[in-house]
Amino acid sequence: MNTDAPYQQYICDACGYIYDEAEGDPDGGLAAGTRYADIPDDWACPLCGVTKADFRLYRAPSREELMARSGAAPTAVVRRGGPAGVVIVGAGRAGWSMAQALRERDAALPITLVTRCAGDVYDKPLLSVAVARRLDDGALVRESGAAAAARLGVRLMARTEAVRICPDTRSLRTTRGTLRYDRLVLAHGAQACLPPALPAELCWRVNHLDAYRRLRAALGDVPRDVLIVGAGLIGCELANDLALGGHRITLLDQASHPLGRWPQQQAADPLLAAWQDLNIRFVGGAQVQQLERAGGALRLTTACGQRFAADQVIAAAGLATPPRLAQGAGLAWHNGIAVDAATLRTSDPHIHALGDCIAIDGQPSRYIEPIARQAQAIAAAVCGTAPAPYQPRAAVVRVKTTSCPLTLH
Amino acid sequence: MNPADLPRDAVATTAEGLLDAVRAVARGPLAEVAEAIDRQGHYPREVLQQLGALGAMSAHLDAPAGRGDYGLALRAMAEVSRVCGATGFMVWCHAVCGLYMQASGNPALGGDALMAHATGRTLGGTAMSNPMKSYAQIESLLLKAVPVDGGYRVSGSLPWVSNLGPDHACGALAGVVDERGDVVREVMFLLRCDAPGVELRDCPSFAGMEGTGTWALRLKDHFIGADEIMADPAKPFIARIRGAFVMLQCGMALGVTQGAIDTMWAVEDQLGHVNQFLDERPAELQAELDALEARVMKLAQTPFDPSPAFFIEVLDARAHGAELSLRAAQSALLHQGARGYLMSSEVQRRVRESHFVAIVTPAIKHLRKEIARLSAEVLPA
Repeated sequence: MNTDAPYQQYICDACGYIYDEAEGDPDGGLAAGTRYADIPDDWACPLCGVTKADFRLYRAPSREELMARSGAAPTAVVRRGGPAGVVIVGAGRAGWSMAQALRERDAALPITLVTRCAGDVYDKPLLSVAVARRLDDGALVRESGAAAAARLGVRLMARTEAVRICPDTRSLRTTRGTLRYDRLVLAHGAQACLPPALPAELCWRVNHLDAYRRLRAALGDVPRDVLIVGAGLIGCELANDLALGGHRITLLDQASHPLGRWPQQQAADPLLAAWQDLNIRFVGGAQVQQLERAGGALRLTTACGQRFAADQVIAAAGLATPPRLAQGAGLAWHNGIAVDAATLRTSDPHIHALGDCIAIDGQPSRYIEPIARQAQAIAAAVCGTAPAPYQPRAAVVRVKTTSCPLTLH
Repeated sequence: MNPADLPRDAVATTAEGLLDAVRAVARGPLAEVAEAIDRQGHYPREVLQQLGALGAMSAHLDAPAGRGDYGLALRAMAEVSRVCGATGFMVWCHAVCGLYMQASGNPALGGDALMAHATGRTLGGTAMSNPMKSYAQIESLLLKAVPVDGGYRVSGSLPWVSNLGPDHACGALAGVVDERGDVVREVMFLLRCDAPGVELRDCPSFAGMEGTGTWALRLKDHFIGADEIMADPAKPFIARIRGAFVMLQCGMALGVTQGAIDTMWAVEDQLGHVNQFLDERPAELQAELDALEARVMKLAQTPFDPSPAFFIEVLDARAHGAELSLRAAQSALLHQGARGYLMSSEVQRRVRESHFVAIVTPAIKHLRKEIARLSAEVLPA
């Protein structure tokens, strides 16, 4: 061994103790300067007693490297004490609209936004368009979460899971600590449903930017066989846009025609006509029974014994509000978080909700248009400004088939 | 009254009877040695065996070893922890070891062996900190098992395993390696401390809770055979018991928090006129503790619910318990003032115990990381 080589450090994988060759372990019988290679096998970690075999070479990173790795930017001091203000859960369209509506009315109100994702601002309806144009996610993000937070004076807690609401202490338990609130606004949206026959690890659901990124990477840049389960609005748009992106689409649904919620002459017929020149095969009356890996591909079997092979499978079987937060807090629930139509207040007077997670009279409304008006109604109530009661309206739905856009009522 | 002198059936006919008897042990013989346990490394074998004789460490086990009542096991553990957090922790160690033995279904670990454990005639712990962290993707497995005729030879070292002694045993887990040294599955087994190839080694001093019988374990070609094996493969077994494992620890958190609140009330008469200016007062903390206890008791009705949603609930209740014990102990120190700053003060011990509740596996940070992992939507790789 080259005795002039610089001394190195070795770290204990069990407890984190660092053996420094320069210092040795005099209490453990290793003189200063003892090389790792020369440590006897029966030597024990002075802290936890494991042996040399559980140590590995270690180079301590600099403070700057650690800062960079944790993504820690110099940040403003987080205010402690004083009013707790408003805590918003979710950083989709509903969460950011809420923050903006509050800030427009009150420049000093403390606002904290808690979100599972990075908090980047983007338009969810464009996710399927992005698939067609093979856009990378940079083209979708209109503003980073950090920039939006700075612009609105919001404390953004990104990559943070909201775990439980404690209404009695008015606090929200999260995976990065517990937040007090004066008012809580739930804007966490809905989750893509997964039919029981489809294993989660084999089947995409494209309901947020992270999932889009991963699907985009899995599709790559060559045409693929893609199977879409569910021919509602989302499934049809995905089929349309993936076909435009050059992929070969098989679209399955239990119903006999696509867009089954609308009359066939108004929806399915013109849609299928518009798709004539696209590589989309619609298969109606198909009930999924099994999805499994078969060689390098996936194989889907229906109840009536039809088999389909595909490179990727996407479920578009509707949305449902995740019940954990609302039900853990004992909030009234009726197909989603039950709210009063005019005020968007839940059964707890300190908690409001808007967007995809709510249901009014048991009726969810998962469209973009109402969100801004809902945010205004809540902001008026929270800030005590002129009331702006929300009025539900029947949604007008545009189906974005590029060759023949449909408007459905 | 010495509960150990009473016939077991006389005290243990009702849940309340059992809890009364546990309180008598905790406030009597345990209170006398609590300081020695914390600071001088006194291992309270007699107290643990008294608690075992009462059925306080086996209430969660199915009959005949116990009463199949997780709520009762938690409340008993809380009564012990209210007086001494270190002993409450050892009750947990012993209780989960019993859970492993019974849930294993191995006849060699049931019957007389299980009854001896359930009644505290034999004592044991759990070496599952490293495997639990391994499943949560926090660290890698430290014990390796090489298949041999009739069983395995296990080698490796584990730091800081508690409620051990020369005549103790603990549940442990090793990665089974193939010829290339790759871990292909896991095996869980009962590790007897007096068996060949097992060495207990001293640990350095801890900040408190010195009498918990905590050792480093070193295994060298230690043989385990059919009589020791709890689960092979171990993963489905761990998935089945993980909720109960974490949930039982809540008893420690509830008790340590209650003990801290008790010490706040103890000075209220003299210091209430100034303590009223403090942030967290005992009545507020008690209300939060009572709500948490109610939440835990509800979870305790279905300890083997396999759903991820249930396990997340258990993890969060455990995290809340750790956070609350930290706040309560800190607040107790502020309430007691200078007298709470004496090294001999019970409040000093509470502070150290609350730190332990917060850092012992699963620590607050582990719990949160695991909740985040389990909450993420599963998508194709």
